[in-house]
Amino acid sequence: MPTAPIAERKPATHLENHLRADLFIPELKAKKKLAVLEELTAHLAERKVTRHPEAVLEVLRQREALGSTGIGKGIAIPHGRSTMVAERAVLFARSSRGIDFEAADSLPVHLCFLIVAPPMEQDPIYLRLLADIVKSVRLARARQRLLEAPDFESVREILTASVARE
Amino acid sequence: MNEQLQMLVALQDLDLMIREAKDPERANREEELGFPLDGVVKLERTRERLAKQLDERLLQMYERMSRRYARVVVPVEGSVCLGCFMGLPTAASHRRTSGTTVDNCENCGRILYRL
Ligand SMILES: [Zn+2]
Repeated sequence: MPTAPIAERKPATHLENHLRADLFIPELKAKKKLAVLEELTAHLAERKVTRHPEAVLEVLRQREALGSTGIGKGIAIPHGRSTMVAERAVLFARSSRGIDFEAADSLPVHLCFLIVAPPMEQDPIYLRLLADIVKSVRLARARQRLLEAPDFESVREILTASVARE
Repeated sequence: MNEQLQMLVALQDLDLMIREAKDPERANREEELGFPLDGVVKLERTRERLAKQLDERLLQMYERMSRRYARVVVPVEGSVCLGCFMGLPTAASHRRTSGTTVDNCENCGRILYRL
């Protein structure tokens, strides 16, 4: 009897490849934009993504001056490339209370994805990561589920499914 | 990391951000994803302010080298300069160009830091 073909597995997306259980903050302590960016970069330092959180924070502050990364619907995706980061990393953080992130629609931010990367001149993956994340939170249902996910494994499943769907 | 080197790193990161924001193709892609990039002038002003705070010789060294290299301040890993990938004798990688407060690669001249 011929065996059934192995279910084709889609290749992992860039976002999937960058998700890390140790880069997850289930509930942010900070409530304001700058304090949140500080909390995020401190977490990166704790997890050895950088030894210079203040340099990374400076990049993120400047990136916000260029234009808020609060893109509306309760989502912020602060991102930047820093000399003081050795490899790309994505940190996912939540705030059930909501953060004032000067978002385009003025709504408080509940889901925050931080992307940091080294300052390579050509890094197509960096922009694709950004696109993957935007895609993953497009649906209201995905956003709601991310907010309610009990642990990182659930977060991973929701994000993976949301990016693959499109 | 000394203060001058910190400022130099901030300058390099800012220059990259400005360069990318001014690259029409790249800026378009970010704007399509929903990120407005209307603060370039603000960044350029910050850049000017930062440059003024830097040691003049160091700034000149940086500006001169940035015409040649995309990244002037690069990490040294073990004893390899990650700008030119040449191994540096330990002594050389710590040698300072007279009058400045930074270490330069003996081979390519880039400014070194430990990541
Ligand atoms: Zn070199």
